[in-house]
Amino acid sequence: MAVKNKSVENIKSRSLAEETWRRLLKNKGAVFGMCFLILLVVVALLSGFIYDYDTQIIQMNMKEALQPPSAAHWFGTDSLGRDIFARVLYGARYSLLIGVGSVTIGLIVGVTLGAIAGFYGGVVDQIIMRCVDVFYSIPNIMIAVVVVSLLGTSTVNLLIALCFTCATSFCRIARAAVMTIRDQEYVESAYAMGLPTWKIILKHIIPNCLSPIIVQVTLLIGTTIIAASSLSFLGIGVPSPAPEWGAMLSDGRQHMRDAAYLCVIPGLAIMMTVLALNLLGDGLRDALDPKMKK
Amino acid sequence: MIRYIIKRLILMIPAILATSLIIFIAMNMTGGDPVDSLAPENATEEQIEELREELGLNDPLLVRYVKYMGGMLRGDLGVSYVTKKDVFATFAERLPATLKLACSSVLIATLVALPLGIYTAIHQNTWKDTGGMVFALFGVSMPNFWLGLMLILCFSLWLGWFPSGGYGDGGIRNLVLPAVTVGLGFAALITRTTRSAMLDVIRQDYMTTARAKGVPDRKVIFGHGLKNALIPIITVIGMQLSNALTGSVLAETVFSWPGVGRLIVDSIAKRDTPMVTGSIIMCCILVCIVNVAVDLVYAFFDPRIKAQYAKKG
Amino acid sequence: MKRFLSAMLGAAMLLSLLTGCGGGKDSTSGSGGSDSSNGSSSADSSGGSSGSGGYKSDLIIGTATDINNLNLQEQQDAANNIVLKTTHENLVRFTNEGTCVPCLATEWEYLDDTHIQFKLVENAHFSTGDPLTAADVKFTYDMAKDSYVSSVLSNVVSTEVVDDYTVVLELAKYDNELLPSLASVPVAIQSKAAYDSGMENPWYVGSGRYQFDEWVEGQFCRVVKVADYWGDDPGTADSIEFRPYLEASSRVIALQNGEIDVCIDPPINELQYLEEDENITVEEKTGSRLFYFAFNVEKAPWDNQTLRQAVACAIDRESVLQAAVYGKGTPQTTILNRGLWGFYDDMEGFDYDVERAKSLMADAGYANGLSTTLLIANSAPYTNIAQVIQANLKEIGIDVEIQTVEDATLKTMCKNGEQELYLWRWNEDSKVDFVYRDLYYTGSGSNYHHYSDPHVDELVDVVNTEKDEEKRMQAGIELQEYLVDACPQVPLYIANLVIAYNKNLTGTLLFPGGNHDWSHAYVAQ
Repeated sequence: MAVKNKSVENIKSRSLAEETWRRLLKNKGAVFGMCFLILLVVVALLSGFIYDYDTQIIQMNMKEALQPPSAAHWFGTDSLGRDIFARVLYGARYSLLIGVGSVTIGLIVGVTLGAIAGFYGGVVDQIIMRCVDVFYSIPNIMIAVVVVSLLGTSTVNLLIALCFTCATSFCRIARAAVMTIRDQEYVESAYAMGLPTWKIILKHIIPNCLSPIIVQVTLLIGTTIIAASSLSFLGIGVPSPAPEWGAMLSDGRQHMRDAAYLCVIPGLAIMMTVLALNLLGDGLRDALDPKMKK
Repeated sequence: MIRYIIKRLILMIPAILATSLIIFIAMNMTGGDPVDSLAPENATEEQIEELREELGLNDPLLVRYVKYMGGMLRGDLGVSYVTKKDVFATFAERLPATLKLACSSVLIATLVALPLGIYTAIHQNTWKDTGGMVFALFGVSMPNFWLGLMLILCFSLWLGWFPSGGYGDGGIRNLVLPAVTVGLGFAALITRTTRSAMLDVIRQDYMTTARAKGVPDRKVIFGHGLKNALIPIITVIGMQLSNALTGSVLAETVFSWPGVGRLIVDSIAKRDTPMVTGSIIMCCILVCIVNVAVDLVYAFFDPRIKAQYAKKG
Repeated sequence: MKRFLSAMLGAAMLLSLLTGCGGGKDSTSGSGGSDSSNGSSSADSSGGSSGSGGYKSDLIIGTATDINNLNLQEQQDAANNIVLKTTHENLVRFTNEGTCVPCLATEWEYLDDTHIQFKLVENAHFSTGDPLTAADVKFTYDMAKDSYVSSVLSNVVSTEVVDDYTVVLELAKYDNELLPSLASVPVAIQSKAAYDSGMENPWYVGSGRYQFDEWVEGQFCRVVKVADYWGDDPGTADSIEFRPYLEASSRVIALQNGEIDVCIDPPINELQYLEEDENITVEEKTGSRLFYFAFNVEKAPWDNQTLRQAVACAIDRESVLQAAVYGKGTPQTTILNRGLWGFYDDMEGFDYDVERAKSLMADAGYANGLSTTLLIANSAPYTNIAQVIQANLKEIGIDVEIQTVEDATLKTMCKNGEQELYLWRWNEDSKVDFVYRDLYYTGSGSNYHHYSDPHVDELVDVVNTEKDEEKRMQAGIELQEYLVDACPQVPLYIANLVIAYNKNLTGTLLFPGGNHDWSHAYVAQ
């Protein structure tokens, strides 16, 4: 019985994935977003081989400070004479790392807590969800400021500071999904077969709330990148001299008027990335929505 | 329903207790000692000790927390370490600016997002849809402070239409740029929600029926469609409103807007524990009130939910 | 019923928005004028610009930081001080020439080494109308002795009232710098009557040209002209408003748009736009704020003097200056703030010389280099300076990790001696003792170097108490030479004081330390 159920499910999910993919490709925005993100990941991976961090990314060269874009420096140089083009390419690593990293932490923590809350209900549910409510009612930037002040500024601490918001929103999604699935027959039967609880959660419940989570992941990576840059603006982001986009942007804002490219280029980099993530996320949402089938 | 409201308000209490405890502990564990930012750099040991005593910093953490919460029950949120002003009074002084910015930015967001969301839903999967969504997403894809700076550059420096910052006399001229900055950031989510809610509704049978009956398109969309799609839209607007209450700290900094967000972030930097704790607690209360208000607005638009409340209450 | 309730709620939200805007509209009509809502004794300003007098009725100053506390004896920030300088006065006034001139005191004399007598002006009164007498001086000083700015008066043992207009201060020891201490804002004379009357915030009451009107935190602080000021030269502008504009660029634009008349601390890289603007004057002068790179000399390996000297030789101060303030400053060798008494900068010191640095490294026993951390505050210009120094030290084999924290954390960590290397600054424009004693005296709370040397302590005391000008000067020079060689810190540069204002502004009185006096300033029309 269980075996049969599982195989049916497999067939269903495979065709669902294909169906989703087909529908996703119809969405021009999502396709653009996907292409841009693939390009970005490639750039982030390659930049480590192309550039030497010590000599080309962070070494200052006061003689070449604040040069406008030219053939030698495509995007110009900053106030310490560093090439903006190289720094923006290299910076993709930081922004992606922070985005993906803190969303991953948030995902693991949030889904686990959400699944537990939804599965057990009762007091456990109450405790977890009230805590989530607390974090939900404080805006993420405030939480991040407090956490960073508490732990000090470093890339790792930044990841931790930013994962709270992700965790709360994953927790809610997972809980809602688990609660609807919990009482379905195939879960009950798995329970009856004596499968341990963690296995049921992992094998039957989590795969069934995947689609809202996938959508949320893409959107939250964007939000997190923006939040990280905001923290840089408040002076508590990734410590210099790392070429994180937000830090570059917030350094560049001093030159908003005399060297606008310092401010515009990292700003555009953030904007394009987040836009791509959002377009992809929206596309996925449409594609995964079962009601959209015609 | 009154009982429902009261129940919701009572449920806020544990949340507030938990929040205040977390903030209190966090503020006390952070690296800086408030005394060090308060005392002059050349203060003697003796003076510092005196100051610690005066601020009650020598008590154990939990004792201080209990004292603080005791004060709160009497409506006393304490006195700022830095300005020596009453925390509640300072918060109240900042609140109007925040409310003004929050309401107007959400209003701007809604004015942009509702038409855009409906438009993109009607034209689903066409270039109009993609273009509309890209436009809506611009606001959320830009770091808020960057958008603010660009607006200052454009409308304040080049065109000279609006002041570059400050609260001024609290009039509309000073409000426009910060409100647009914050509002555009919110527009994306509202547009997105409006679009998908409209898409859901458009596929419903009664819409087809209405069309078949020969009701004009416009009337179908706004009369039948929008009305039924409103619930998720209101939810998200309410959510944005509570976000705007404390989340606009970046715009507040860029535009020197004297709001609550800036107050909290500045106070964190100065390790002004009573100010941070008090303000965040007040913010939580505000957020809860907004949430309850949103729930009530649901009832106004959806008889099913109203019936539910009546049953519970 | 429920429908009605929800409708009410919606209406209330809308209403709050409308009233917010409406309220704004009302007050727009009155803007520009100083609406003296509660000042019965305030100037007879009628709002708008008084054309006949030829000056703009209000002067608006855009500050870079928030005003945070206006109780004189609980604060020491420049942002507060410039407000308080318009409302309060001291016994003596410190001038830009480094001397003290009469203010509330007309004359003074040393009765003996430890007693100084002041004669007060007899017609001075507070903005409340109460006369200012010797009792107020004693009240203020006694209160200051108990406050945490007491270090300003640390040498004053007691204050005796001789008659209504005569006070005698008893000193612990003769002090070369008593008068500049008495000229500082925290010990400006306050009204005993105001405190006795039980009024709210009695510290707002002073005897200055302006009186406190309204302070809305984060928005503005306004003072209005005192109609019957006791002195001969009352203020001109009817009101002065201090408004924080935290974002530097927006402060500059506000000045260019005419929203403010003075822009404090304009960002250096935007000066060109202000200089091009024909309605704006940019004033630049040598400042007194010394930025320095320093060691915790208690912590190995930085207890090694030769190693410290090697680091000093490795730092390219010209690049630091360029990166930090675009060259708008002066590099210096000595540890004393420029402009102070006995400033001496001709010692050999440790100029930028990588070869010399390397050989000193070898002498110190660190030929193979080492790793360390540099603690900095998370604001400009420290982040830029740190990056230059990080690159400089890499050349002599020192790997520096930059640790960024907030100001308050930096102070705590430095005080506790948790740091290895750090960047900080010291600002002083009147008293050398506030540099020597605070930064280098054994056990001083702000001696973040944790430096301790009996010879230095002795010289510091000589400079403070020696009456013979020549001997004192010699001790001062020896002290500076000794400290530069001992190298607990590497002085980097003195930042220029830059300020931009409306070209019609007159009556400015700027101080290199930033505690400007605006009480004479107004915009001519």
